[in-house]
Amino acid sequence: MRKIQIPERPDLAEKAAEVGFTFATMHGEPYWDETSAYCFTLDQIETDLEAPATELHAMSREAVDRIVASEALMARMGIPAPHMDLIADSWARNEPEIYGRMDLAYDGTGPAKLLEYNADTPTSLYESAAFQWQWLEDQIAAGHLPQGSDQFNGIHEALVERFRDLFAPDTDIHFTAAADNPEDYATVESMAWAAREAGMGAHFSDLAALGVSADGQFLDADSRVIGTLFKLYPWEDLLADDYARHIAGSGCMFLEPAWKAVVSNKGLLPVLWQMFENHPNLLPAFFADDVAPALVDGGRPDPSVAPAFDRVGGPLRRAHVVKPIFSREGAGVTIVEDGEVTEASEARDYDRHARIVQAYHPLPEFDGFRPVIGAWIAGHDCVGIGIREDRARITQDLSRFKPHVIAA
Amino acid sequence: MRKRSRTVALTLLGAAAFTVAGCREEQVDAQAFPDLASCQAAAAQGGLFTAAECNQAFAEAETLHVESAPRYDSLEVCEEQHGAGNCGSEAQQAGGSGSIFMPLLAGYLIGSMLGRATGGMAASQPMYRNAQGGFTNASGTTNFGSNAGRAQMGAQSFARPAATAGQPPMTRANAASRGGFGSSGGTRSSFGG
Repeated sequence: MRKIQIPERPDLAEKAAEVGFTFATMHGEPYWDETSAYCFTLDQIETDLEAPATELHAMSREAVDRIVASEALMARMGIPAPHMDLIADSWARNEPEIYGRMDLAYDGTGPAKLLEYNADTPTSLYESAAFQWQWLEDQIAAGHLPQGSDQFNGIHEALVERFRDLFAPDTDIHFTAAADNPEDYATVESMAWAAREAGMGAHFSDLAALGVSADGQFLDADSRVIGTLFKLYPWEDLLADDYARHIAGSGCMFLEPAWKAVVSNKGLLPVLWQMFENHPNLLPAFFADDVAPALVDGGRPDPSVAPAFDRVGGPLRRAHVVKPIFSREGAGVTIVEDGEVTEASEARDYDRHARIVQAYHPLPEFDGFRPVIGAWIAGHDCVGIGIREDRARITQDLSRFKPHVIAA
Repeated sequence: MRKRSRTVALTLLGAAAFTVAGCREEQVDAQAFPDLASCQAAAAQGGLFTAAECNQAFAEAETLHVESAPRYDSLEVCEEQHGAGNCGSEAQQAGGSGSIFMPLLAGYLIGSMLGRATGGMAASQPMYRNAQGGFTNASGTTNFGSNAGRAQMGAQSFARPAATAGQPPMTRANAASRGGFGSSGGTRSSFGG
């Protein structure tokens, strides 16, 4: 894994405009940044990222099996009691998952570490699946990258395949998001292209325009009954909305399914650590309530986790990260070293939620930037990566997207 | 063994992913009128419809009002959906029960499909006040800002609403609605990450 200098395409701005990539620049800063790129060996990709991410997804599924069997655990993960059955049933019915993105810390050597799994509403799909792909094709054509250069990016094809496997041809799939957010909308559109290529009908309705009929079925903006709904809107919000009471009886299949509420939830991390302690791709993690006394004022951890805590207590005291169970783009994250807060993200929208504590594993640094690897899962397999880098130690929504290449 | 897709050509031009020939619903010209007189006045000015079409459309919308207006089991629930003062009993409006309540007819939506409305379609639709101060159709599935003006809309807006006459009236629990998703996102402008 190296950072390579490579000329920006001279017609980058036109290309972005042409495909409607309107947020290539955000807040006056380049969000898509191709003035340099990350270069991997095939072995790094296959051995260190692809195989572990696929395995982590399988482990996450095992964790769901344990979580949905325990109302106490679901309560800890912020699932409202009235909706626990919805989540358990969705898992029992084996409702299919489409996609997710694991954020991994990886420096080119040693095992990649799972920071968190955004398995419900991951964005940056368009940049990863399409715009980065085109960058590689253009740079090979321009002679800036050797023939035979490749990219770990089978994302689009894998999503097409996924829709084909799950739905009969011509199935109508409805898509919803907050239409006025270009990042969210681009992710939904990318997904819709995949569905269309797989032979499905794709219909968009703004989230606020969805309705419910007198007999409890969800309706799109044109009043058509929704049989399958891809929503770029998190389960923790869905379950808090007025329409939550209609979900169970609506006959509507949700993508991602309801059981993703306990995957796309940082409460998954302590459960994984409990089930797979010392797995090379996991960082030690605990529910904050269980270990706060031990970390903050020399008290004892909750007896249920004491042995596991004692095995990692030293490093955890030296440096750990506190994260709300529901948060995105680094919001609400705090780094604590030797009892002092050394970094905290500014966005505190998620502070009302329960928290977890995870061992601090610094991101590597390349030319003053710290990359985080987003490993994309389609179905059950890791099918590609997208890289975001930030100057700060906490990757936030002002980070830059960087293309990557597998060396020829 | 290539690690990348063979081809990916995605464009993000507005709704490109969602509008495709043969998939997009047929659009029809439509116009809303608060009452028959305003339709007649527009016809005299050479509008979308003739005076005869106005009469026919209004008769049809009024029939649909009697057959398909939303029916509620109390005045309270009806006013929650349509606003205070915008409801009356079925007995007053459609010669039915005094303990079933319906919104008052507040306008007429006429589509330029007069004469070819068949089977499941109606050339015109009754309009009702909604709780937000705008207007809605009989099935409560489309909302309009006003009960006057022209627009292009999907032909689906002219689907015949399901009959409600003789059906059990809606209770508060099953009154049809819209907009019940999205509020919990609070002030966040983005839901993904």
